[in-house]
Amino acid sequence: MNAFALGYGTNGFANHRLHDALAVIADLGYTGVALTLDHAHLDPYSPTLGREVDRVRTRLGELGLRHLVIETGARYLLDPARKHSPTLLSDDPGPRVDFLDRALLIAADLGADCVSFWSGVPDRGLPDERAWTRLREGVATIVEHADRRGVRLGMEPEPGHLVRHVEQVLSLRDELGCPPALGVTLDVGHCVAVEPTDAAACVRRAGPLLFNVQLDDMLPGVHEHLEFGEGRLDLAGTLSALTSIGYQGLAAVELPRHSHAAPVVARRALAALRSALPAGIPARPVAGRHPWLDNAARRVRERPSVIGALFPAVGRKVGRAAVDPGGDPEGLVGGTVDDRARGVLLAALAETLGPADLSAELTALYRYGDDAERRGVLRGLTALVDAAPEVVEAGRDLVKDALRTNDIRLVAAAMGPFASRHLDRHSWRHGVLKCLFVGVPLAAVADLEATVDEELVRMIGDYAAERRAAGRDVPAGTLELLGKV
Amino acid sequence: MRIFDSHIHMTSRTTDDYEAMYAAGVRAIVEPAFWLGQPRTSVGSFTDYFDSLIGWERFRAAQFGIRHHCTIALNPKEANDPRCREVLDVLPRYLAKDGVVAVGEVGYDSMTPEEDEVFSRQLAMAVEYELPALVHTPHRDKLAGTKRTLDVVKESGIDPGRVLVDHLNEPTVGVVHESGSWMGFSIYPDTKMDEQRMVAILQQYGTERMIVNSAADWGRSDPLKTYKTGLAMLDAGFTDADVDKVLWQNPVEFYGQSDRLVLDELPGFAASSETFAGNSVLRGGGNT
Repeated sequence: MNAFALGYGTNGFANHRLHDALAVIADLGYTGVALTLDHAHLDPYSPTLGREVDRVRTRLGELGLRHLVIETGARYLLDPARKHSPTLLSDDPGPRVDFLDRALLIAADLGADCVSFWSGVPDRGLPDERAWTRLREGVATIVEHADRRGVRLGMEPEPGHLVRHVEQVLSLRDELGCPPALGVTLDVGHCVAVEPTDAAACVRRAGPLLFNVQLDDMLPGVHEHLEFGEGRLDLAGTLSALTSIGYQGLAAVELPRHSHAAPVVARRALAALRSALPAGIPARPVAGRHPWLDNAARRVRERPSVIGALFPAVGRKVGRAAVDPGGDPEGLVGGTVDDRARGVLLAALAETLGPADLSAELTALYRYGDDAERRGVLRGLTALVDAAPEVVEAGRDLVKDALRTNDIRLVAAAMGPFASRHLDRHSWRHGVLKCLFVGVPLAAVADLEATVDEELVRMIGDYAAERRAAGRDVPAGTLELLGKV
Repeated sequence: MRIFDSHIHMTSRTTDDYEAMYAAGVRAIVEPAFWLGQPRTSVGSFTDYFDSLIGWERFRAAQFGIRHHCTIALNPKEANDPRCREVLDVLPRYLAKDGVVAVGEVGYDSMTPEEDEVFSRQLAMAVEYELPALVHTPHRDKLAGTKRTLDVVKESGIDPGRVLVDHLNEPTVGVVHESGSWMGFSIYPDTKMDEQRMVAILQQYGTERMIVNSAADWGRSDPLKTYKTGLAMLDAGFTDADVDKVLWQNPVEFYGQSDRLVLDELPGFAASSETFAGNSVLRGGGNT
């Protein structure tokens, strides 16, 4: 299933160093970030900008923050005396246009989804028509820049600004001849505050032109960014609308006035988002970072026997989605959220118990486990590849048991690094062949390329011949494997 | 038509059945642990069966786009065999599992003292493990058995709203309706209930707390009886919303009390991929 990414805005971490903020955001389990360029956060006027951009790119990659939007709402970056000034509506919009172009360059270098910007508040005395003309000219210019940089622009309706409604962004876009690079940034809280329809309706209105989403709660008529649940936003309905339009960009929490308690607020926000997400939408599974899981792992370290009671509950507590729902919807290759979480509990168990007790507990968890628990044990063996001989012996028996089943998820989970290291060659080859038979992608077999031998190639060759003799396709991956050795 | 078959023994059914059920609109089922036809003689054969209900059968159903859940219990018939009663000691382990959405089938077969004891012990487990209970009513001496069932339910202290009394018919529906428990009806080719009689009961008692299932098993039975009852309801003037209430919302509400129902679509079976699942032609009624 295609899905949008959950992120957090760095303007809600104004009191953190940028690299620290990114780490906290990633550690909590967000997969994206809305980066507001500011004095302390990738200052676009820094003489060492190029190097800093490189460092941020590396950092984002290390932390697995795959979705990025560049935000340009810094308050005093251009003019230390006047908030948000100058704007595209100012007498001299030059510094704003230059800043937005720098943002586009940075976005291109970092592979961002888009650059987000707003219209600005017209100076007192500036007639509306005049303001609109300035806006149109300014946006036309930055759209040209955006085209040149290959970056998209999301224009955000902002309460109190010249452009405060989604409809105005769409009108402006029409006036400019519908440039493909120009779309909408939607702050769903703003919808509650000032839009005539609710956030879900705004999401659907923007449809494919929705380039960027900011998440927060608000009360009608009050432009104050609130934590989820403190305002009137229908969070579940809004997220569901994002899913229904097939939105695949970033949806980042926007709480710029909560920097004083950023890590706590960000954790609460993610919990609220996860519980409001439509079933099946992945909030990224982060091993050891779900609050329930942290607590469960601690309890296992304190009293290992509680794992028997915790193990069955994992799916109910942390979810069951595939880690990569788009590419691997059944979790055959990368496993599922609950698989990962069970692995964390097993790792905690392995830290605490000696080899004899660990072997007995592993065997019991598998023997008395349902399909998901057995899968969790099998995938958890990855962490026990270098365990004591008696633990390895117990693990090997479990792998063999799983390879006797026809449940493809068990077969896939059994063929991880533990099997490639510890299973006898004959059983391992039959495991690979079983994957082909039951439809487990060969990507699920650990170390296949390195471990394939002539006998396996012979077996697979015979299998392919048998398939062809029956007039059937040969599964993907088989032929590549035949080219080995 | 979306269908939640609240009682079906898929272990005894074929993959053709799964395909036909999906095509008819069945998206979720509950498989109660029950007698297998051949009496069991040891705890080991029960645990292997239970393991299959929380493992293999769930996987098998998933291959056909159907969410599988189960209920776990020592059934009343085998409660009379002392070799099987030790099963009670292993039940707690299973009652903690995902996908186990009730204690069941419990209840009476021949109304022996052994059945009395096993029934009330398992209702106590339902309370302890915060699960609803699925109660089977006996084939023989049904009305007396149903009344006694309701007495035992009352004594147990379990909330009647967390009890589904199954296999009801015209003589037994009234007492259960009064009790506040949920009413289950198994629609069979030639025993228990049929579609037309079911429609008449719905006309008389309404759709609140009413649940229809096929109870299909290894005997002569039909896994599409839920669907056929839906069609009979529409023919009799019930609305799509009424059918949805009886065939989906009610069982979801009842078993949802376990907090363990998983009803999102399986990978590859999302609504948008109906033709991928290859069933759009088979679907009758056009009201899915």
